[in-house]
Amino acid sequence: MKTLDLVLVALFAGLVIVLGLLPPVPLGFIPVPITLQTLGVMLAGVILGGRRGALACLLVVLLVALGLPILAGGRGGLGVFAGPTAGFLLGWVPGALIAGLIAERVAAPADGAIRQTAAFLAAAVVGGIVVVYAVGIPWLAAAAHIGLGKAAAGSLAFVPGDIVKAVVAAVVARGVHRAYPVLPARAP
Amino acid sequence: MIGSLYHPGDTPLHRIPAAAKLGFLFAAGLALFLTDSPAPLAAAAAAAALLLAATGAPARSLWRQLRAVALIIALVFAANLAFADAGTAFAVLCRLSALVMAAMTVTVTTRTSDMLEAVERGLSPLGRMGLANPAKVGLAVALTLRFVPEIFGHYREIRDAQAARGIAASPLAILVPLVVRNLKAAEDIAAAIDARGFGAPRDGASPKERHRP
Repeated sequence: MKTLDLVLVALFAGLVIVLGLLPPVPLGFIPVPITLQTLGVMLAGVILGGRRGALACLLVVLLVALGLPILAGGRGGLGVFAGPTAGFLLGWVPGALIAGLIAERVAAPADGAIRQTAAFLAAAVVGGIVVVYAVGIPWLAAAAHIGLGKAAAGSLAFVPGDIVKAVVAAVVARGVHRAYPVLPARAP
Repeated sequence: MIGSLYHPGDTPLHRIPAAAKLGFLFAAGLALFLTDSPAPLAAAAAAAALLLAATGAPARSLWRQLRAVALIIALVFAANLAFADAGTAFAVLCRLSALVMAAMTVTVTTRTSDMLEAVERGLSPLGRMGLANPAKVGLAVALTLRFVPEIFGHYREIRDAQAARGIAASPLAILVPLVVRNLKAAEDIAAAIDARGFGAPRDGASPKERHRP
């Protein structure tokens, strides 16, 4: 890994932390205000690519474990991993990995604005939502001793906000990619 | 900019080495899932609560950390009460509370730097195999902590500039310039790190090898 890769990984870990420090955004049509932290996870994947995006999220997870209150709402420490929703945090790592791998393969630099944004959106939805929930929901079901169905139902309230974040991530990734591409190019 | 959840003190809990605490926490986490009977789990929860109290950390800061997870645990308790029996609900409540409080005890009594050192030492076998580089992990942690105030400062500047031009606050308007500005800075920082010889081969390597970019 080159030094620039290391710096980019640290940079996006920092971005995920800063997005967690910003106040939650209230959206009229969703009951819970959304925090922007998972937006950072999606951005790490689709802007840096799979490997570096996953390492950035792993770095955030490590900093939480070291005892820094860097999650949205000032949470942190090992207690977070003992809670029943820890899977939604650990799921960031494979989530950013999958989002990045998809973005590397689907978002060709020559694509037009709409096609490329759609590719980034697909990457953000699959990696940042499907994969994260695929880790978080079974974890919640096991830790809380409730069935998969009930764990999934309890997590549904966050899906609309996550979809909004995936759209924002896709549009931002397109803008960044046009101005300053760092996503590793890869033939589909 | 980022505080730490560590609470300075000189209790016996503070003096146990970080690696030992992490090992104990891991073992306790596994043990708590071995049983489903309420009595030992209740005893574990009580013991964890005593440990957490023995850290000497102020209740207010502990409660700030516990609040969010307590809400989730309460919801889980209610769900189990409704769909399973009271015994299971109580057992799950005790197990989750014990885990969370034991983990918080380790966090509150261990310096972030000691924790990082334990992680680096834990990674060193992987480092010898060439799978992970503990020094790079340490550098990445330090860089991230340095970047947070930097990124936050950029965020404020961009937000102020946009507000002066009458642009409403929106993640879309802010994030593209914020990310691009930081990506540009990343190249300079990487060049500066390379120029200081980080990750260069140790003494004994040929000068030619040492000066390879």
